[in-house]
Order: sequence, then structure tokens, then C-alpha cells
Amino acid sequence: MDLQLADIEDPDARISIEPENIPLQHRPSISIRAKVAVSFSLFFILSFTVTGWSYWILTKLENKIEFLEIADNYMVEIQQARRFEKNYLLYHTGLPDALEHLKTADAILTQNSDKVENILGKNYFQTMVSLMSEYHGQLALLGNVKNNAGKEAIVPSLRELGSRMVSLGEEFVEKERNSATRMFLLAKRVPLYFMSALFILMLFVLTFLTRQLLLTLNRFMEYTKRIGEGDFSPILPVRKYKDEFTKLAEAFNSMIRELDHKHKVLLESHKLRAIGTLVAGVAHELNNPLNNTLLTASVLNECFPTLSEEEKMEMINDVINETERAQRVVKNLLDFAREGETEIAPLEIGKIVEDSTRLVANQVRFAKVDLKLDCEANLPRIHGDEQKLKQVFVNLLLNAVDALPPGGQIHIHIKKDKPQGYVLVTVHDNGPGIPEHIQARIFDPFFTTKGQGKGTGLGLSVSRGIIKKLGGYITLASSSGQGTMFTVALPITESPSEIMSK
Amino acid sequence: MPEQPLKIMVIDDENIVGKRLKPALEKTGDIVETFEDGEKALARFNEDPFDIVITDIRMEKIDGIEILERILATSGRTKVIIITGYATVETAREALSKGAFDFIAKPFKPSDLRAVIERASKEPRP
Repeated sequence: MDLQLADIEDPDARISIEPENIPLQHRPSISIRAKVAVSFSLFFILSFTVTGWSYWILTKLENKIEFLEIADNYMVEIQQARRFEKNYLLYHTGLPDALEHLKTADAILTQNSDKVENILGKNYFQTMVSLMSEYHGQLALLGNVKNNAGKEAIVPSLRELGSRMVSLGEEFVEKERNSATRMFLLAKRVPLYFMSALFILMLFVLTFLTRQLLLTLNRFMEYTKRIGEGDFSPILPVRKYKDEFTKLAEAFNSMIRELDHKHKVLLESHKLRAIGTLVAGVAHELNNPLNNTLLTASVLNECFPTLSEEEKMEMINDVINETERAQRVVKNLLDFAREGETEIAPLEIGKIVEDSTRLVANQVRFAKVDLKLDCEANLPRIHGDEQKLKQVFVNLLLNAVDALPPGGQIHIHIKKDKPQGYVLVTVHDNGPGIPEHIQARIFDPFFTTKGQGKGTGLGLSVSRGIIKKLGGYITLASSSGQGTMFTVALPITESPSEIMSK
Repeated sequence: MPEQPLKIMVIDDENIVGKRLKPALEKTGDIVETFEDGEKALARFNEDPFDIVITDIRMEKIDGIEILERILATSGRTKVIIITGYATVETAREALSKGAFDFIAKPFKPSDLRAVIERASKEPRP
């Protein structure tokens, strides 16, 4: 029983060690099928043992009862023999009867010598047989002796042998009766013991097997939720051994890989769309410095002889400045559009948000929206991918611009959330807000409130995927009428010196 | 060269545009005033109407289309030329349907603009 209890606690203890670090292929394989088979085998073995034991004890009881019958018969014969012995001594009759009964008793003993020997043991049996033959000898001697003096000499030893024989027989009968009673008691209790053992085994199977199955199923349900939210990190089974769930986890992982790949394609296509939106603004942004350069160069060309040195220098400087301005515009867009693998690096969040606001500057201006950026000083660096983060902020800003009427305001605030180890970027607009009934769905892929052909419904879903992958989170805190506020939290990178100083 | 100098107003929030167009247009003897702020330009226009107004469409405070509408409402003889870096067929059509004389896309040369001004000074308003 103790052993089984220990078995119940053991698997839990194994789980709490958290053996995730052991590679999957090195873990032993214990399938659910094997566990079920072992449980049933245990049931079977237990039933088999109990049945076998019952059969054995009943056989033993049967033998004992048989022996008791023999012993009773034997005792009756001995006692009869002794009665006739007394009669003979008193009235000098019945000696042949005594001898006859002794003979019968001897016959009973010899006929059942196997059983009796089996139960009493060889020594006792021999003692009994020798006692009886000695008694028989003495009794026969008594018959032959005619004078009273000779009889008086034999009688004490005869009585002594007789009483020893009887008391020995009674002793064994008593002993065997007690033993039979004990066995009956045991035979009565066995079904109770069996029931208790069965109950404990059932409890063990229920708590261990069922609970484990349910817990694992729950865990898998959480995985699907997590994957649904765009977290594509692979599953690492927590169990120390392999089973059917391990195969399920492997299937999940291959699904996650596929989803991750598809998600990357989606990310790229969403970026292309954002670039498309930005290009319209950038064209304008580019046309202004180009126009300034062309006008300046044309005037320089037309009026060259009449211009003073000072004016010429100013114009040349204007040409240089405006060309550089065009270069910056192009570079900013290229930085955003450049295709590349995710490069995680410590980044200055302020600069990234600023670049993002510059990218959408034209959209902001066209929509006649006011954009304000507040950045706390001495912000720690964050952990992330520059391009992808810009994609997130550009998306949030474009959404805000789309939602705002002319004269609306966008307020970006960057601050530390040191105890949590995050930097928070809040993008707040004072637009109409997001109605409560759709708030739960805004992060769903392909969900859009914009008209057909205007929004893909991917922006926020993709953004959430990006931020989750960087170990951060993006949440909505919006109420109709007060505008919309998104918070992006990104984990702070600890520089080696900061780690050293700890 | 026209007998009487034209009064030309240039509105663009890019200050280099005004700075360069002023001497380039004044070469032909016309009078040019430049503004970066649409509101100030309209206030000036209300004091003293101009013959030709050249305005950018996309500006921060007040956009070119609004300037066009308000100027045409104030003065019937003024011709408005729209310039913009964000040239789409829709904006051009909108500007022209609202009574703009012509539409020039950035970047342009001073001579391009002068040609349009030349036409505007001769042709009656559409």
C-alpha cells in the first residue's frame, strides 16, 4: 500500500523538476497506451493473486477439517480403549475390546499417515505411533500377567502412557481447531483486503492517469490560444518521457513552423502595403526638395551674370541642402522597405519612433493632424528589430491618422516601466475611439473597420505578432469618445556593464 | 511684355519656392509678393486683389483648394494657378473643376510657370 502511495506522488515530483532541458530524443518513451496496459495488468495481477490465494487457503482448510475428523475418530477409539482398560483393571473384562479399539485407532493413523504426518510433522507422528505401540505392548503384557503384584507393577506406566497419548491427541486437535478458526477469519477478511487494494489502485489510476491527461489537454488548449495570438515559438514538452502527447507536440511544432513561414509572408505583404501608402507621401516629400533644387538651379542658370557672389553662394548651398534633404527622404524609406532577416539588437527606441513619425509626416500633414512626441530622457535601450519596430509604429500612426478628422491630435509618449523591465510607447489619438463591441476583434487578422480596398485588416495582427516575438506586448486602452490609446511595451536590454554591476 | 505689370501672389510653405520665384518672375517686370502662410496671403489679398495667384495645394494650415475657392469668391478677375508635388489626376481635376486656371506639377522650371502666367494674362478666365 505504501509503495502505491509513493507511486502516486512520484510522477508529480518528476514534473516539478522541469526537465525541459533534456532533448526530446533522449527522453524515454512511455506511451499512454503502455500506461493503460500497465494499469490493467496491475488489476489483473491483483485479481489473479487474490483468487489464487483464496483457492489455496480453502484447500488448506479442507485438509484441516478432514484432519480434525480423523483426529476425532482417533480420539474416540483411544478413549474407548482406555475405558476398557479401566474396566479390565476393575472387573477383569474387556481387554480384547480395548485391544480391538487400539487396533482401529492404529488403523486410522496408518491409513491417514500422509495427511496426519503432513499436518503434525514427522516427529510428532512418530511419537504418537511409538506411544500407541508402547501402550499396546503394556496392555498385552497386562493380559499375560496373572498375579496381582505383576499387574500393580505394570499399571502406573500403562496409565502414564495412556494419559500422555490422550493429552497429546487433545493438544493437537485443539491446536488444529484454533488454526482452522484463524484461517476462516482470514478467508472472511480477504475480500475486504482485496476491495481496499482495488479502491486504492482505482484512485491511483484516476488521479494519476486521468489528471495527467486532462492537464496535458489543458496545456495544449493554451498552446492553441498562444499560437492564435501569433506567438510562434515552438512547444517544448515538459514531460521527462515521450508519449502520444509528445507526437502531438511534434505535430504542433511542424504546424507552428508552417504558420510562422506564412506569417512572414504576410508580414512582408503587409509591409509592402504600408510602403505603398507611404510612397504617396514620400513622392510629395521628394518633389519639394527636387522642385527647390530645380528652381534654384534654373534661376542660377538664367541670372548667373547678374547675381552677386553672395547670392550665388546662397543658391549653391540651397541646392546642396535640398539634395541632401531628398537623400534623407529616400534613405528613410529605403531603411523601412529594405528586405532583411530579423536582426535583434539593442536599439534606441526614441530614434525609431522619431524615424517612424518622419515616415508618416506627409500623411500627418495631409490629414491636417497634429503630432506630438514626448520622450523621457536617458531611456534604456530596448531589445528589437529596427525595421519591424518601425513597421509597428508606422502602422499605429497611419491608423491614428486615418481615424482622425482634420485638427485631430496624436500624442506619442515614451517612458520607462523599470520595475517590469519594459519601455512603454503609448500612441494616443483623440479620435472617435473604437466601439466596445469590436475592441476584442481588432487584433484578429483580416478584421478591418476601414472600407473595402482601404485596409487589409492585417496591420494590428501583424504588429502584435512582431511585438510578441520581441518579448513585448501591445494592448489597447480605448473608450469611445476619449480617443484611442495603444501601448507598446518592449523589453529593456541590459548592457554587459549593467549586468556586471548587479 | 504686357503694357501693365501683373500683380502676382505666390503661396507655398516651402520658403525657397517664394525666394526663387520672386526674382525669376519679377524679371519680366511684374510685381510679385510671396507668402508661406495661406491665412496671411488671404488677408493680404482681401486688402488688395492680385491678378494672378500661384498656390501650392498641400500645406499645413490651409490647403490650396480652399485658397482657390476663397479667392475666386472674392475676386472674379483673378486667375489661380495650382502647383503641387502630390500630382494626381483627381487633384488636378478637382482644382480645374473648381475654377483654377491651370495646374503645374512639381518640380517645374521658372520658365514653365512663366509660360502659364503668359497664357493666363492673355486668355479670359475659363
